[in-house]
Amino acid sequence: MVKYSYYPGNVARQSSREVEDTIQPLCKTLGIELIEIVGYNSDGGNIIKQGNRELQLALNARNLALAEKKGHDIITACASAQGILHESLDTFQNDEIALASANRVLEKTTGLTLNASEISSSHLLHVLVDEIGLDKVEAAVVNPLDLDIACYYGPHMQRKGACGGDDAWNPTYMEQLITALGGRPVEYKTKTSSVGNPSLLSLGDTVMKMTARVLNDAKKAGGQVLVSACTQSHSNLDSYQGKAGRVANKDTSIPVVNLTEIIAFALGHFTDRFAQLRTRAILIGS
Amino acid sequence: MPTVAKVWIEEDCITCDACEDILPEVFEVTDDTSQIKSDVREDGAFDRNTGFSSIKTQFRAEYSELIEEAADACPVEIIKFEYEGGTAEVVSEEVAPVVDAAPAPAAASADTGDNSGVLAGVLSGDRSLAVFFGSQTGNAAGLAEKTAKKAAAYGLEASVIDMDGYDQTKFATHKRILIITSTWGEGEMPDNAEELWNATCSSNPGLSGVHYSVCAIGDSSYDEFCKAGTDWDGKFASLGATSILDIKLCDVDFDEPWSQWVGEVLPRIACVDSGGVFQEDLVEAMIAYGAGEEDDGVDAGDFTPANIIQPAISLTMRIFRYDPILAQSGYDTVAVNLPGHASIEDALVAVKREVDGSLTFRSGGLVGQNPLSGIKANGRILPADTTRICDLVSDGETLTLEPVPGYEVVKDLMVSYDRYDYARADSKPWLEADPRQGERLANGSPIGVMSSSEATYLHTLADVGSLQLVNAMSDTYDVDEVYSGPGLALQRWVRSQDPRSGKAHIKQMFDLMQGKGGVWDEADISSIHRHGIDGSQAADSLYAARARLLAEYKFVGKTGRLVKTYARSVKMSGNVNETTLYRSVLGPLGLGSNIMNGISLRMMLGFTRNGGPMMRGFQGMLVPPAGIGKIPNMFNSKIANHHEVVAIFNELDGRF
Repeated sequence: MVKYSYYPGNVARQSSREVEDTIQPLCKTLGIELIEIVGYNSDGGNIIKQGNRELQLALNARNLALAEKKGHDIITACASAQGILHESLDTFQNDEIALASANRVLEKTTGLTLNASEISSSHLLHVLVDEIGLDKVEAAVVNPLDLDIACYYGPHMQRKGACGGDDAWNPTYMEQLITALGGRPVEYKTKTSSVGNPSLLSLGDTVMKMTARVLNDAKKAGGQVLVSACTQSHSNLDSYQGKAGRVANKDTSIPVVNLTEIIAFALGHFTDRFAQLRTRAILIGS
Repeated sequence: MPTVAKVWIEEDCITCDACEDILPEVFEVTDDTSQIKSDVREDGAFDRNTGFSSIKTQFRAEYSELIEEAADACPVEIIKFEYEGGTAEVVSEEVAPVVDAAPAPAAASADTGDNSGVLAGVLSGDRSLAVFFGSQTGNAAGLAEKTAKKAAAYGLEASVIDMDGYDQTKFATHKRILIITSTWGEGEMPDNAEELWNATCSSNPGLSGVHYSVCAIGDSSYDEFCKAGTDWDGKFASLGATSILDIKLCDVDFDEPWSQWVGEVLPRIACVDSGGVFQEDLVEAMIAYGAGEEDDGVDAGDFTPANIIQPAISLTMRIFRYDPILAQSGYDTVAVNLPGHASIEDALVAVKREVDGSLTFRSGGLVGQNPLSGIKANGRILPADTTRICDLVSDGETLTLEPVPGYEVVKDLMVSYDRYDYARADSKPWLEADPRQGERLANGSPIGVMSSSEATYLHTLADVGSLQLVNAMSDTYDVDEVYSGPGLALQRWVRSQDPRSGKAHIKQMFDLMQGKGGVWDEADISSIHRHGIDGSQAADSLYAARARLLAEYKFVGKTGRLVKTYARSVKMSGNVNETTLYRSVLGPLGLGSNIMNGISLRMMLGFTRNGGPMMRGFQGMLVPPAGIGKIPNMFNSKIANHHEVVAIFNELDGRF
């Protein structure tokens, strides 16, 4: 078993329970042991950073220090969380003043200190491709996906160092993974574009247009289902797709699932949900 | 006095007209080069006279002195001549090759001193030297350049070669190779050398005709001191190459040992003749020869950068085309072979010349970066004139070129930056200094003042290559026509931070940033942040501006409520409470709108979720606020050691 400290992000144990439901069994199947970071806190979602950058850094320093104490690198299933964790870690590793400042606060408030040189964070996608291996994933497939699938990465983790060995600008890891799971990836050009999730509540039509652009591109490319590596962005892509379509006057009807869900389905978990997804894909995805 | 019988022009004329000014009867400068005129030549041709036709007898005495004067005056010394009777031409020195080689100094090419006689054989023919570098932080690359410059003193024509992307099968084409490499991490190859190392180890090319030496840089505090260098040394030896000098291991203070290595290795490798044979008995003479033109290679006034060669690459270019007359758009696909160091603009110029003269793009010009030459290359927003193709794609890959987003496309890859210009003119983000007592020019005009630290801070804030391109980096700018963009936001932020700005002007900048089209219209700063240094610079400024505006305007509006509610909910439980968030930011009207827009209905009917308890769906319809489509917890339980999070908040920001 490969061990990772598991950071669920801001919504996997809130509105996106389906991520929490599916990541646990899929990791067990693939030999990944998720170690709970007891007492982990929100990473600030780049919302707190808008009011106080130091505060968001300190919150992330606490999570990193808790994981560091356990001795395992961090894994998460949310691209947004991975982007924030990586950016915080990158700051601490390259800015001694920021690290010292965060440690001063951490030590005073928690008794913890962060070394920052002995820990890293990864998205589940990159762990599966870089460490577990697609051959092992393929061997574990029970229900091949047999669907045309558009992959959505979002912009948050698409920068050098944050996305494992994948190309930050033209990523292919998810397409490779979908192929290994028995699906057929489709290419479209906005797979790393933002859908404006941080401003979902504050900017109306702009965010809807950004969301519609991605959904429409995925649909035009022939996708029956869109798979999102970003749990946060899933809200825009899924719940708001009807509104997005009306605002942008585009066809946005396509089933959207999280990456953890589609992996779990292919590995034989939640066959009822997979059947439901197939039905939806046939009815509205094509 | 002998008279000149033949005169000719070698390559690389810079068409400065100096020769024609001195002797127009013989020299005529055309667009590309100086030519020898037909009237004075025996063969009557008009060209550079590379066939060495003689000057007509009647002109020789008259023009000899002026031909010598023209040759002396030629700044690139490409005018060559020969005296009657075939006596040696009087040429002061050869011209340094312009491409792919470090300049050859006088000692290398025309020295007629004592040593050149015995060295004549070894100094003739192929004098190429390949200096490879494997570098993580630039130290090895810098030493490679210095080594190449010093090599010229020994009559070597050195090329500095980045290991990144080099084809290992070409090692064997060199007779003389020097390797300078650092070691990274725990005995690993530097990033730029890893691929070549792996390829070499897997293909094991024969190197029997190669003489080489290695200079390894490392840190003796590591167990695997200089391992990358020793690996290369061992590999070359195992492949049949001949070591010309034992490997040099350099610690963190590498200047001194490198200097020793260079002093020993260059005269030795310079004694490898054009046939690939090491003439060991000539080493002493070569040392003396090189010492005649001793140069430490680092004099500030004598700096000539060596060329960094990149292997040629073949790629497929997909170029966006737009015809404004027919209002049609599409992509052209062109297969091209290019030097790896060619810029995107070089490639476009080549396509325009060779394939389609109607291709339209904005040129950056010859010198420096043009902020308007931007292009979208494989998704990245970049200046076309200063971005190397080899930094974007590898051999055999596809490069897709599109106009930068957010601006009106005029034709093909050319966009109009009017949108930026109008927004800038409207917001006036330029300096409007505030009069200060005691700070006036001699004519009485008031001036602002700024300390050097403040000046440095401001310059750092504004240090991006192109504000127009920073705008295009935003995924929001393309869909929101009112948004003035992160580039303009950066300008406004810089001006508001300028201590010379008047209070009224600072207030105006704040109002513009806070208002419609300002910094809050950016939907996702992450989309900007990932665009390299410029993107990261602009993103950091946007965050800084937002923090200041929240303080200045007391968290007003949806955006203010979002930040405040988010932070408070995290402080209360350790995790964000989405229920509170939606209720506070959207308010009753916003939640009602979600219900009216069918978001709640989609959730209840199960279109948006893949399962989970159905009760959660019904719960969402019954218990407000449920209009977010997916139902979060109504209440968060506190995380373990929640008091620690509260203490962090209290320590850093009492507003939440």
